[in-house]
Amino acid sequence: MSLSWLLETDSKSLRSMNGSRRNSGSSLVSSSSASSNLSHLEEDTWIMWGRIVNEWEEMRKKKEKMLKDLVRKGIPHHFRAIVWQLLCTAQNMPIKDQYSELLKMTSPCEKLIRRDIARTYPEHDFFKEKDCSGQEVLFNVMKAYSLVDREVGYCQGSAFIVGLLLMQMPEEEAFCVFVKLMQDYRLRELFKPSMAELGLCMYQFESMIQEQLPELHIHFQAQSFHTSMYASSWFLTIFLTSFPLPVATRIFDIFMCEGLEIVFRVGLAILQMNQTELIQLDMEGMLQHFQRVIPHQLDSGPDKVITAAYQVKYNAKKMKKLEKEYTTIKTKEMEEQVEIKRLRTENRLLKQRIDTLEKESASLADRLIQGQVTRAQEAEENYLVKRELATVKQQSEEALAQLEQAKATIAHPRQQQQPQAKRAPRYCEESVLQLERELVQARLKEAESQCALMEMQDKILEVEKRNSSLPDDTNVARLQEELIGVKLREAEAVTGLKQLRQQVRDLEEHWQRHLARTRMLELETQNQIHSNHLRRAEQESRCLQECVQTLTGQNKDLHVQLQEIKRRQAEIECKSKEEVMAVRLREADNIAAMAELQQHISELEIQKEEGKVQGQLNHTDSSQYIHDLKDQISELKDEVRCLKGPRGLANQTNFDGIHIVNHYVGDNGSYQSSDEDAGKGPGLPGAQQRSGGRIRLRPNIPDTDSEEEEEEEDEEEEDEDSLRLSVPQSHKSTTV
Amino acid sequence: METIWLYQFRLIVIGDSTVGKSCLIRRFTEGRFAQVSDPTVGVDFFSRLVEIEPGKRIKLQIWDTAGQERFRSITRAYYRNSVGGLLLFDITNRRSFTNVHNWLEEAQSHVQPHNIVFLLVGHKCDLEAQRQVSLQEAEKLAGAFGMRYVETSARESINVEKAFVDLTRDIFALVLSGDIKIQDGWEGVKSGLVPNTVHSSEEVTKGNRQCFC
Repeated sequence: MSLSWLLETDSKSLRSMNGSRRNSGSSLVSSSSASSNLSHLEEDTWIMWGRIVNEWEEMRKKKEKMLKDLVRKGIPHHFRAIVWQLLCTAQNMPIKDQYSELLKMTSPCEKLIRRDIARTYPEHDFFKEKDCSGQEVLFNVMKAYSLVDREVGYCQGSAFIVGLLLMQMPEEEAFCVFVKLMQDYRLRELFKPSMAELGLCMYQFESMIQEQLPELHIHFQAQSFHTSMYASSWFLTIFLTSFPLPVATRIFDIFMCEGLEIVFRVGLAILQMNQTELIQLDMEGMLQHFQRVIPHQLDSGPDKVITAAYQVKYNAKKMKKLEKEYTTIKTKEMEEQVEIKRLRTENRLLKQRIDTLEKESASLADRLIQGQVTRAQEAEENYLVKRELATVKQQSEEALAQLEQAKATIAHPRQQQQPQAKRAPRYCEESVLQLERELVQARLKEAESQCALMEMQDKILEVEKRNSSLPDDTNVARLQEELIGVKLREAEAVTGLKQLRQQVRDLEEHWQRHLARTRMLELETQNQIHSNHLRRAEQESRCLQECVQTLTGQNKDLHVQLQEIKRRQAEIECKSKEEVMAVRLREADNIAAMAELQQHISELEIQKEEGKVQGQLNHTDSSQYIHDLKDQISELKDEVRCLKGPRGLANQTNFDGIHIVNHYVGDNGSYQSSDEDAGKGPGLPGAQQRSGGRIRLRPNIPDTDSEEEEEEEDEEEEDEDSLRLSVPQSHKSTTV
Repeated sequence: METIWLYQFRLIVIGDSTVGKSCLIRRFTEGRFAQVSDPTVGVDFFSRLVEIEPGKRIKLQIWDTAGQERFRSITRAYYRNSVGGLLLFDITNRRSFTNVHNWLEEAQSHVQPHNIVFLLVGHKCDLEAQRQVSLQEAEKLAGAFGMRYVETSARESINVEKAFVDLTRDIFALVLSGDIKIQDGWEGVKSGLVPNTVHSSEEVTKGNRQCFC
């Protein structure tokens, strides 16, 4: 910003300048925003600040205290941008021109920054939206700074400070202010990879607590409540993550003016305000208190805490002293750490060396023992050999001596015993034998005595050895020998153990093999059993299949038979049905016939009855008639006889039947009619079937003869026409 | 009034920046998932009670650490007093997985002479499409280090309880078997016998009850 611009005192023009900034959308801090309705007090403040800004250099030099006080009261929102820049002398920085260049470059921290951008001020409107201008701008400034200051690069938490700056001013200015903050306000040290400055701040803060809030300090110690548990973010983000933004912004005003001191002050003020509660809580309770309670204590506004902050004692000199103390402590710690590391590595190496040396000594001990063992064996052999040699020497000496003696004796008695030549050899022989026996015995005795001597010598050696253990000079040797002995035993034991282990292993192998074999056998037997099962099952299945086949065959035959039978049965049924039908038909016919016959019978019966009745009538009539006739006959006969008397008996008629001719001719019709009506069948009982109206009477009136009679009568009809007798016809006509 | 618990275990959650440590812890202790939250500056603290078996409650004090490497100078002070740790990596970020053994070294070098029981956690398992670390290789790594492996998602609330409860159970078993002992001056494991608050006298008398183990 150029000086000419700074000379403009018109607050309105300032406001219009503000309006062009991007942060006009953010709803921050103490209102009194772009509205033109300022209260008098605020207007005064504005005018005052305007003047201050105008006469900045002068104010800074001469009225520093006043400036400080004013800043403590709070910089008006719209002045913040300028005042902050002025406070840290961030105008006309050469780096500002590089900004656009820096944006084009890529930073190694880009990915890291990207990821954190979305998490910075997530609830704040300006930064809320993803890919919004707020996030982009924040990214730019962080990236640019990471390129400018490669040592610090990007540190989580610094984004909050930059975010706050961006809420007040455009990105280039924010970038410059941030650079200044990092360089001149200890922030860079705080954010460096080592974060050594943070440790220092913790240390300094702790000592302040110890001095000014001793009870609380003791309580913290008792609860192992370290400062870093609550205060790290206070220093790294200047309360931006702990307090509401308005409060934090006010504190930031003072920070811009006075530096990190304010953080100490406010921190201690907070602790003071909450001392009573904190003392009652354990570590967990305290942490929760810090997380949940304290942020809301400042909802009312920052003034309370700021006034309290300025009641806190802050001794800059003491801080310096503490710094020195801290550095010495830290360097000592570092050295100690280095020393510890070195010692650790040395320790490790020594341990390794010990291991190797132990191994070596073990192998050497083994070899030593082996050597000892072989030497002992050799010594024994040597001793045995020597003894044998000694005995042999002695034997040979004795033999020689005896030989000399024998020679001498032989030479001597030879002269004396020459006459006893025969006895001499025998005597010599005997004596030689005796001598030999004596020699042998002597040798045995000598050997025994030698043994005894050796034993004695050994015992002496042992005793000497034991005796030798008393004087101190041979102590080491004794210990070594003991060690050797022990090691010998150990080696023996080890070898024994190895042998046993080997045996165990062999036995295990055997056992495993045995198990495997038995399992194999088991599996084989199972296999066989299963295969047997299978075979049997197969056989069974085959038999069953055959059975099935035969049965199916049988079944088919039976089916066929059944079908035949069924067919026949059907046929038979048909036939029977037919028969039944026929029978029925016949029956029906029969019935019909029977009915007919019955009808006929009934007719005939009726006729019969009629006949009977008529017969009776006739009979009655006829009987009388017969009587009459008979009388007549007799008369006639008499006449005939009288007449014929003379002629002869040539024309004797048969008197089989009395041919009675009806002389009641007039009654023939009625009489016949009744006969004609009833007579259709054969055998009319005693009735005529001619229209002649003749009645043939016979002595017996069988029905059956009527036809014959009629026939006979036919021949004689003409003859007897004259002789027709009319039967006295009753007027009775039997009607059927 | 505090609930009675058998033991109090202090756990530390470590891992690269943005793997999701704060989210996982918040999901476990507060039951919520915040899509965006502030990056942890320094350390954060949370606590919750878990019931690993009916009637057996363990209090967990959980330290949430900043993942950025330079914060290790602050966070390394917290390893020594922790008995258990969740080593987080992001399954969609290969780098975070390869840094696991760095974290383990860091923890082991600063926890001497104590020991921390670790659980390897593959976080953000709901983002299957962007997976860069397979289940098998993570399990293999966990097996090589002698720790369990769990895949979690704070967003979808998958296995969040399981991770913490499994770790608690493992530590509990070691405490019961005597492999982890309560020591004076060590904050990793505290027993529920002694009242650990300096509250009203109520608490003091209540704390003197019999041990439950």
